[in-house]
Amino acid sequence: MNQLETGPIRPILLVEDRPIDIDLTRRAFERQKVLNPLLVARNGEEAIAFFDRWDAGEPLPICILLDLRMPKINGLEVLRRLKSHPKFSTIPVVVLTTSTEDRDVEEAYKLGCNSYIVKPVEFDKFVDVAAKIELYWCAINRPLS
Amino acid sequence: MLRDRRKSRLLLALSGLLVCALTSVTTAQDSAAPRKKVLVLYWDSKDFPGNVSFDQGFQASLNSDPSIKLDLYSEYLDSQRFPGERQTELLYEYLLGKYSGQKIDVVVATPDPALSFLLKYRKHLFANTPIVFVAVQRPALETLTAGAGLTGIIRANTQRRTLDLALKLHPQTKDVFVISGTPEHDKRFENISREELAGYESRIRLNYLTDLSVSDLVERVKSLPRDSIILYVWQRTPVEEEKLLQTYQVLEKVRQAAPVPIYGMGSRNVGYGIVGGYVQDSERNGLETADIVRRILSGTPTQSIPVDSASSVPMFDWRELQRWGISESSLPSGSVVRFKELTLWEQYKWRIIGLATLIAVQTLIIALLLAERRQRRLAKEALDRLNAELETRIEQRTAALNAKSRELETFAYSVAHDLKAPLRGIDGYSRLLLEDYAGRLEGEGENFLQIIQRSTDEMNQLIDDLLAYSRFERRELHTGKIELAPIVTSLVEEKRREAARSIDFVVDVNGGTVLADASGLSQSLRNYLDNAVKFTRNVDQPRIEIGTKEDADTCVIWVRDNGIGFDMKYHDRIFDIFQRLGATEDYPGTGIGLAIVRKAMERMGGRAWAESHPGAGATFYLEIPR
Repeated sequence: MNQLETGPIRPILLVEDRPIDIDLTRRAFERQKVLNPLLVARNGEEAIAFFDRWDAGEPLPICILLDLRMPKINGLEVLRRLKSHPKFSTIPVVVLTTSTEDRDVEEAYKLGCNSYIVKPVEFDKFVDVAAKIELYWCAINRPLS
Repeated sequence: MLRDRRKSRLLLALSGLLVCALTSVTTAQDSAAPRKKVLVLYWDSKDFPGNVSFDQGFQASLNSDPSIKLDLYSEYLDSQRFPGERQTELLYEYLLGKYSGQKIDVVVATPDPALSFLLKYRKHLFANTPIVFVAVQRPALETLTAGAGLTGIIRANTQRRTLDLALKLHPQTKDVFVISGTPEHDKRFENISREELAGYESRIRLNYLTDLSVSDLVERVKSLPRDSIILYVWQRTPVEEEKLLQTYQVLEKVRQAAPVPIYGMGSRNVGYGIVGGYVQDSERNGLETADIVRRILSGTPTQSIPVDSASSVPMFDWRELQRWGISESSLPSGSVVRFKELTLWEQYKWRIIGLATLIAVQTLIIALLLAERRQRRLAKEALDRLNAELETRIEQRTAALNAKSRELETFAYSVAHDLKAPLRGIDGYSRLLLEDYAGRLEGEGENFLQIIQRSTDEMNQLIDDLLAYSRFERRELHTGKIELAPIVTSLVEEKRREAARSIDFVVDVNGGTVLADASGLSQSLRNYLDNAVKFTRNVDQPRIEIGTKEDADTCVIWVRDNGIGFDMKYHDRIFDIFQRLGATEDYPGTGIGLAIVRKAMERMGGRAWAESHPGAGATFYLEIPR
């Protein structure tokens, strides 16, 4: 649903290091019947590695869900590189994190994230979040072809 | 009044008696001591220095005796200036006529020529008057015993003693030049000296410079050999027409020319060029003569007073001693040193000592002050060092604390993050189980899953509250003036919306302002309201009042409910973290809300407290600076 475009459906990139969160996110999107395929980068490095694939011609994600706390390269660093990249800076980035710290919120917006969502503990709310993400960043925000 | 007058009359009478008595005593004394008449016959003139000195001693001694009423007469046998037999005759006639009606008690003659004159005319002049003399030549025994009495003092010749003294002070001496001279060129002083100094030729050469003119004398003494001394006896010399040089004036010239020390016997010469000598002191002669006169006047027979030698003293001129390098310690005992120039030290001894003492005291004070200043400076430096050390230590501690604090922050952040992740798993999968496998759970299975859900909610809340509390501790304060009414109104609206049931909110907040951190204040008020809502849940008609009261410095805000209340013995504990009074099932909560309030108040300089009675509701207060 909500897929109004005619071209191939662009994926959603989830940057998340916790398998449980990956699984729950996937299920939440499934509950909302989101059709966009969910690509997963299990840490910052893997997320950066996608840059090459996009350069090689793979379709850009319609939005990136980015966890902040990750080993090696953390979410803020990934965000910084994305937003300073000439081609990928337009990809909407939704920070999806446990952190309620003011400085994380401030820093994320300063670096150019499009939305900042605190991961709810309750699964119901998580499903709501998935719905809103799909609505704002996948359906409405989709560039008309 | 009457008594006073009587008293003064008595005093008058007494003083009258006293005056009479005194007058009679004086009269008696006057009549008892008739005035005495003493005549002094001097040789030479009144101004002759020897005469002046003699008078000083003589008159001072006699005048100091109050028992003698004296009339003193002076006459001068000025035979030097008025020589000749005729002059002597004239003086005799003059004195005879002048004193013919006078009864002279004592006649004094000084020196030898005066005595000779008196003795010559004794039969007629002062025939019945005793004579006291000062002479060099001792009168013959028959002369002494003849007439009305004759006694006196003999001025002994001190040339030998003086020469002995000079030779002792100048042991290298080979030649002694004896200077004398009289206007008459009679060599009388040379003759006396030759007689006196006989016997010295074996030790030294004696050379007599007699009756030389002043210019010749000066020329002569200029070329005296080194190992010689001058014995200046007496020389009076006429120069030019009628001018006569006195002996001391001649001496002065000799002194200027002579390359060798000069010794002499006249006290008058001390000060005019002689180093010193045993001198006859005219003043002393005057004193001794006066003694004899007094004895005669008081009735002692003249014949019974023996003729005595005039005392002579070793006397020196300090300047000459200096000139010839003679130390005072080498002089005979009893020496009189004249013309001593006081050294700066002797002259200003006490002033110098005083000044030196003053300077010393000042120096001491300055030294003390300097020492004290140094001590103070050292102390200050030590203090500064200590302060600097303390500062450094505080900085180090603060840095360490900050590091610890950051560590704790990270820790809290991690704990929250890490606790929430598994919680999400528990909640997520239990819900999936509940939803996706609903029909397939048996017995209490579903119930258990719901309990898991509730526990997860609780834990989630706990983590959130803890995070809020810890965030509160390290959040920066943004203190500013805050209008109370809008913030309270909006919070009440928020609670009214959230509340599951109708609550009677009574807001009585006038336009007061407080000086507070906005976030801390609204968090505190929110927590108070949450609390009030929570503890009125079982009340039929829940009612929550919000009011304020201001004074000069502070504003007190209260939130009053009609809920279950609490025992006042717990009034302070409820503000501690994790302190709960209500049962969890009835009034769920984490026990962190009020702890956050207290923390917020502490940080903005305010105060939080509560009052209550069980079952009678509770009032929670905030006191905030204005």
